[in-house]
Amino acid sequence: MAKKAEVVLEVENLTKRFGPLGSGFVAVDNISFNVARGQVLGFLGPNGAGKSTTIFCILGLIEKDSGQIKIFGKEFSQHRSQILQDINYASNETQLPWNLTVWENLLVFAHLYNINNVRKRITELLDVFEISDLKRDMVRDLSTGQRARLSLVKAFLNKPKLLLLDEPMASMDPDVVDKGINLIKRLQKEEQMSIVYTSHNMWEIEEIANDIIFINHGKIVAKGSPIDLTKKVLGGAKEPNLREVFIHITRS
Amino acid sequence: MNPRRIHAIVLRHYFLSIHQMERFFDAFLYPVLVLLLWGFLSTYIGSIKSSGLIAFLLGGLILWVIFERVNTDLGLSFMYDVWERNIINVLSSPITFVEFIAGLVIVGLSKIVFSFILMAVMASIFYNFHITTLGFSLALFAINLIIFAWSFGIFNLALIFRFGHSIGPITWILPFLLQPFSAVFYPITVLPEFFQRVAWFLPISHVFEGMRGVLSSHEFDYNQFFVALILNLIYFGVSIAFFYLTLVGVKKSGRLVKLI
Repeated sequence: MAKKAEVVLEVENLTKRFGPLGSGFVAVDNISFNVARGQVLGFLGPNGAGKSTTIFCILGLIEKDSGQIKIFGKEFSQHRSQILQDINYASNETQLPWNLTVWENLLVFAHLYNINNVRKRITELLDVFEISDLKRDMVRDLSTGQRARLSLVKAFLNKPKLLLLDEPMASMDPDVVDKGINLIKRLQKEEQMSIVYTSHNMWEIEEIANDIIFINHGKIVAKGSPIDLTKKVLGGAKEPNLREVFIHITRS
Repeated sequence: MNPRRIHAIVLRHYFLSIHQMERFFDAFLYPVLVLLLWGFLSTYIGSIKSSGLIAFLLGGLILWVIFERVNTDLGLSFMYDVWERNIINVLSSPITFVEFIAGLVIVGLSKIVFSFILMAVMASIFYNFHITTLGFSLALFAINLIIFAWSFGIFNLALIFRFGHSIGPITWILPFLLQPFSAVFYPITVLPEFFQRVAWFLPISHVFEGMRGVLSSHEFDYNQFFVALILNLIYFGVSIAFFYLTLVGVKKSGRLVKLI
């Protein structure tokens, strides 16, 4: 009998409302899902669907109204620092300080994550992401693509068991996205990490995700592997076509 | 508490100071300029009034700068992470708020030590005013000034959490709202009766009254010290509670992640 995969993230009946006394807009509406070790979960949905709110709830930066989030089998509120030690996050919305060099930034985050062999780990990741030659450059002098790669280096610094990537490569050109996705896939396999990945670029999701959750108006409206989801929504498809799935779900 | 994570915050601001000269200037240029301005003014007023006045004004100024800089630096250091859209990266790391603020406090303290030494040396050379004549009482004054600066700074951070980027400039303004009632350059008795009552509730007004007492009679007023200390403990507790409640509120309302 196959061994049941270890669950790293369990989200159960998560609900989050915004507005006066939590009575207003329902951003996340009673959603449940699990992420197993080594699984890459694509988190899809239109703007304002509740993807980022869910990620911020997982990180403890937004307080949920109800439901349960367990990470590595532990309640977040009681084991915050311990849990965050094994998680990392990257988003196109955040940046690393502009007035520090690439190396200085990574050194600061290496200390924040209490990483051993700091220099070795930073050097190793700078090599993998092919930005070793930029280590003495100020972040403000980097191109958008180079900054995205730097954010990913920061995200992999602590060898996270769970990585939350919220549109990490939005507005990047296809070449940068292709390189980025391949590097993430490579490190994900090597380090057997679980990833929750959001993007509006369906190609990115098809390339990286084993499973997909489609969220709309805060509710999970579809889930499955890219090919299963395509078959379920479009019927009779032989290849995954998440772009059409996306359009079909959001317009229906 | 994890010393390594606190070290990370100190390191981040050390690197920032290396690359951004205004981070160095605010520890160096501002104290020098205000000391020169008030030094010359004090010399002029001293020549037409009494010689003790110079000590009152310069002593008041140096102690005020300790309070104002420690307070401002806490808010400013935090705002750098907000302006640079780095704050969510920091808050999603294992660092706790206590460790984060501890890091910012160390950054602020190391800068104020530098500013204080600079001002003390300049006042001694240019105006023959020796802040060290305050003796051990100087350390006790500094304790009360710094605790109140932290209370005020933590209150300020809570306001930034609640109101976001737009409230940032208040970091510089808030201390000056207190200055008229803090009896920095004149005795509390100079103030109208209502403002005198306000002044007695500010720990720093007791510090400045105490300083004038030491300079004029060479006696340290322990009553003033303990009143200031008790007020400080109350304000510190209130500001921590306010910060905690604001943090809970902004996590609930989603305003915390709007700081991106």
